[in-house]
Amino acid sequence: MTPSLRLRPPRHRADPRAVAWWTVQALLAAVPVAAAAIAAYWLFTERPAWLGALLIVFVLLCAASVVVVPRVYYRTERWEVTEDAVYTRTGLLTRTWRIAPMSRVQTVDTVRGPVQRLFGLSDVTVTTASAAGPLKIEGLDEDLAAELAERLTAITQNTPGDAT
Amino acid sequence: MMPDVEETATGEESGWRAPHPRVVVAAAVFSLAVAVPAAIALARFLAGRGAAPDVIVAVAVAAALLVVGAATVYETARRRTTRYRLTDRRLELHSGIWTKEYRAVPRERVRSVDVTADPVRRALGLAVVKVGTGEKHASGGPAELTLDALAVTEAEALRGVLLGGRAERPDDGPLAELRWSWIRYAPLTVWTFVGGGLALGGLYKLLDTLGFEPGKSETVARAWEWLTATPWVTVPLLLAANALLGLVGATALYAESWGRYRLERRPGVLRLRRGLLTTRSLTLEERRLRGVAVTEPLLLRLGGGARVTAVATGLRKAEENETEEVAALTPPLPAREARRIASEVLGEELDPAGLRGHPRAARGRRVRRALAGAAALAAALGMLDAWTEWVPAWAWALPVLAVPAGWALAAEGYRSLGHGLTRRYLVTRSGAVRRRTVALDRSGIIGLTVSESLFQRRAGLVTVSATTAAGEGRYDVLDVGRDEGLRLARHAVPGLLEPFVEESG
Repeated sequence: MTPSLRLRPPRHRADPRAVAWWTVQALLAAVPVAAAAIAAYWLFTERPAWLGALLIVFVLLCAASVVVVPRVYYRTERWEVTEDAVYTRTGLLTRTWRIAPMSRVQTVDTVRGPVQRLFGLSDVTVTTASAAGPLKIEGLDEDLAAELAERLTAITQNTPGDAT
Repeated sequence: MMPDVEETATGEESGWRAPHPRVVVAAAVFSLAVAVPAAIALARFLAGRGAAPDVIVAVAVAAALLVVGAATVYETARRRTTRYRLTDRRLELHSGIWTKEYRAVPRERVRSVDVTADPVRRALGLAVVKVGTGEKHASGGPAELTLDALAVTEAEALRGVLLGGRAERPDDGPLAELRWSWIRYAPLTVWTFVGGGLALGGLYKLLDTLGFEPGKSETVARAWEWLTATPWVTVPLLLAANALLGLVGATALYAESWGRYRLERRPGVLRLRRGLLTTRSLTLEERRLRGVAVTEPLLLRLGGGARVTAVATGLRKAEENETEEVAALTPPLPAREARRIASEVLGEELDPAGLRGHPRAARGRRVRRALAGAAALAAALGMLDAWTEWVPAWAWALPVLAVPAGWALAAEGYRSLGHGLTRRYLVTRSGAVRRRTVALDRSGIIGLTVSESLFQRRAGLVTVSATTAAGEGRYDVLDVGRDEGLRLARHAVPGLLEPFVEESG
């Protein structure tokens, strides 16, 4: 029988501080939504009990997502850079593994959002010549990200051709 | 020592050249498209106000002359400020009346040269040259340089020089030439059925802009009355008229787009020429070619037809007034012919029988999706009925009909699924309505993506995508068995996946 195959997870995770950053992001999304739901219930309805119960469930779900989602993210988002390739895994429901050979990498950028800066984090974006979008490694320590970008840039500059 | 070889080079190709003087005439002719309707609208307006006939004529003619004059002045200014030059290393272009622009394309980056002449420019002996490179422009689209317009001989000479004379060498017969019997495939598009309505809408809008207000006219009102009075006669009659109009339109469009079609291979380049009134010719470097796609949309497939497009880097997007994709290599033609041309362009047999099918689970996914769609339609109708009580009884036929139709499409979609790996190409086929077989050069794969949704995981399926710099940037092998998919990805680009794959069991 032929052996069954699977893709092993990439070796590295995001920086542990990324959990706090994702939590802040989740809060920024969940708090206004929950607040709007509560306000709408209070102002625009007759406040029936069944709707109240539904509202409580909804708000609890929002709270749960703030607590749970960043931790799940931390478990699912993984990355690895070898001599020959950049390898990432993302997503929980739809899991996506992406591999870009080093010889086809065109540019490497680090991006630091305002909230990320507070946590000393940075994203690394690896672009190839494909129109299908770049590979993104989220929530790395900013020094590590800078070092990684530099290393990748050095490797790609030594590759001949236009990477198409 | 010369300080700069390019500056001191002599000969015609080194000097700055302007667009051909007759572009001004062409612009004047084009401006008639605005001038004439404007004059008519003005004349109607004045007539409505009860102006004297000679005043009306004078004003209308003056307005038309004003528009034509403005276009002529503008074009003269544009021509005077546009200069191009071909040096040993690059093609340079200065342009812009107010905003000066300078663009230079290194000659070794030139990947395609596109020479187009619409009927007006053709009558004047002019052609527009578009030079494409593999680069991306800052705005995201591929960078290209347009010379509007040169004398035809100058345009052809420029093309020859830019592609290193390769395009001008003799060839060993064309890959394909138009056969007029192919025109039977022309009506096999959706446009045949909606084209008539669109044409009517266009006519209505044109009349409206000219100030005829067709909505309020007596004739239209009477026509509407006649239509609604005897629907059992008029509706089929209208549908037949629409189909006839669509048929004529689609056939005419095919003839205009693909008349004089000829596809040739010369050393290192593919060259395509087509067009009855507007002639277009595209020269494509073979090293930019990353494969071909054979597309069989449902109607065309039922008629036994197919068409071939190129998967190439650095092709520009089709403009709004263009009816065909820039990458189109053939018109709709017999499927066997399409396969032959695709195989010759690939340099390898493209054999649909050699493709491997996908697991039954992929069929189940498609059927479940179709049934869920029908159920969602039924639920939406039910809700609408409960709230508005407006839904007529016949509407319930829709979800009922959606079940067999969806089922058939799901089965067809499953039959379409297939993949294969040849010496040079990764081949993938999918699509129920628009079935497409893509052969992608394995050396042009610049990344791999494997994705697995929750439903796919339960069914043991994955989608393997190869990313590339050409075409859509990404070609999927949909719903392939997990092991088979990973094995395919592993072999498609040797070594790339190796460090990340584990074997078990």
